[in-house]
Amino acid sequence: MAVSGFEGFEKRLELQFSGDDPVVNEIGLRQLHFESIEQVLTQVQCTVVSAVGNRYFDSYVLSESSLFVYPTKIIIKTCGTTQLLKSVCPLILFAREIGLRVSACRYTRGNFIFPNSQPFPHTSFKEEVIYLEEQLPPNLCFRKASVMPSKLSSHSWHVFTATDGSHMLMQQLRDESDEFYTIEVCMTELDRVLARKFFRRPNDGKTGDSAGKEMTEITGICDINPNALICDFAFDPCGYSMNGIDGNRYSTIHVTPEDGYSYASFECIFSVYDDTNDVVMEALKKVVQVFRPGVVSISTTGTSTDEMWTRMSTAFEPLGMKCRSCSIDEFPAAGTVVFGTFTTRRK
Amino acid sequence: MSTSEEGQTGQVISCHTVEVWKDNFEKGTDSKQLIVVDFTASWCGPCRFIAPVLAELAKKLPHVMFLKVDVDDLEKVAEEFEVKAMPTFLFFKDGKQIDKVVGAKKEELQQKVMAHSSAAAVAAA
Repeated sequence: MAVSGFEGFEKRLELQFSGDDPVVNEIGLRQLHFESIEQVLTQVQCTVVSAVGNRYFDSYVLSESSLFVYPTKIIIKTCGTTQLLKSVCPLILFAREIGLRVSACRYTRGNFIFPNSQPFPHTSFKEEVIYLEEQLPPNLCFRKASVMPSKLSSHSWHVFTATDGSHMLMQQLRDESDEFYTIEVCMTELDRVLARKFFRRPNDGKTGDSAGKEMTEITGICDINPNALICDFAFDPCGYSMNGIDGNRYSTIHVTPEDGYSYASFECIFSVYDDTNDVVMEALKKVVQVFRPGVVSISTTGTSTDEMWTRMSTAFEPLGMKCRSCSIDEFPAAGTVVFGTFTTRRK
Repeated sequence: MSTSEEGQTGQVISCHTVEVWKDNFEKGTDSKQLIVVDFTASWCGPCRFIAPVLAELAKKLPHVMFLKVDVDDLEKVAEEFEVKAMPTFLFFKDGKQIDKVVGAKKEELQQKVMAHSSAAAVAAA
């Protein structure tokens, strides 16, 4: 393995806000000035490469992964050696200026391939948790940090959540926020031939946008959710990012195709009312077929999805992927987190 | 916030009413100009991200007509062109839509505006 290469594994932060003014809640964080967003991203050390919005939310493709801005929720996911957690403080402050206060926080990540290259506060999960605890206001008093293991040393799932309790109350009322669950997929050891498709030819004369669009088409990423509007970008000389927007739902894919530390991620939200067998399984199967990875880890966060996991194992079987581990934990504000790993049978 | 600057070249013209939209569109079509329409919304963050890029292009290319349509102000117009995501940029020549950019994609927008504006300049000459 290379001594050091690009860190594909992302860090992911989700902040939930609430306010008293219903009008503010309607547009909320989407009214943040672009200069404010830029300031946050400067702290994290990344920039916006393309963006699009619809009636429900704004989606940004970043130089290192993605940002989604809903009226009362922000999801920011960054890879490489970015300092994601440095966004917490400015985001809370900018939100306060428009009358929103933070009510819940969720931080997740996999296992870094190059942990020694990570800057503060990402040097260890312990450091990350200490840093987060300091940044969050004391009213977010229900907190939990845990590392969910797998049988593979290369894959484990780090989860930190905090909430002020209002979220839990809402969950009891079966509020709309309860409807969605998040699926985060991390894939390593990508098929070499398929990974080559995420390299650009030298001097191809294309823009990052047009080269990205081409990759979306030739790799079959466009078929994962044909209803989604895709904002894609191809990096030079290699690497790819896309955000999909479909009504109030986002999806996102990021690819680091270099051999030795190849990595791809897929993330999306699904409704508990979706027919899990069809929609979710089909999407996940397509994702696995785009990359044919040696190892896949999947985490689902939200309402309990035991049944879904049984179905997932069945769905992956014909693709030659076998379930190696599965662990479950409960987190305040996040609900049930299930983390499982799959590997190709030849392993 | 922004006022409609009818007939001003080198600027993005905001169309707040259907009349202003129609007038400008007709004028641009009649004078065989390339028309670039930015469908935008006040609540859309990516629209704010790309606005300075469009203003810069308008300044650089006075022979191209840049129109801005707020999808809440002119709902019917946005519907007519099936605008579902913001910003959406539509390119018109001789009253016909010739290209489209969905999203705030800086490089792609710049490249397409340049390509179509030089084609329009050649055709007009």
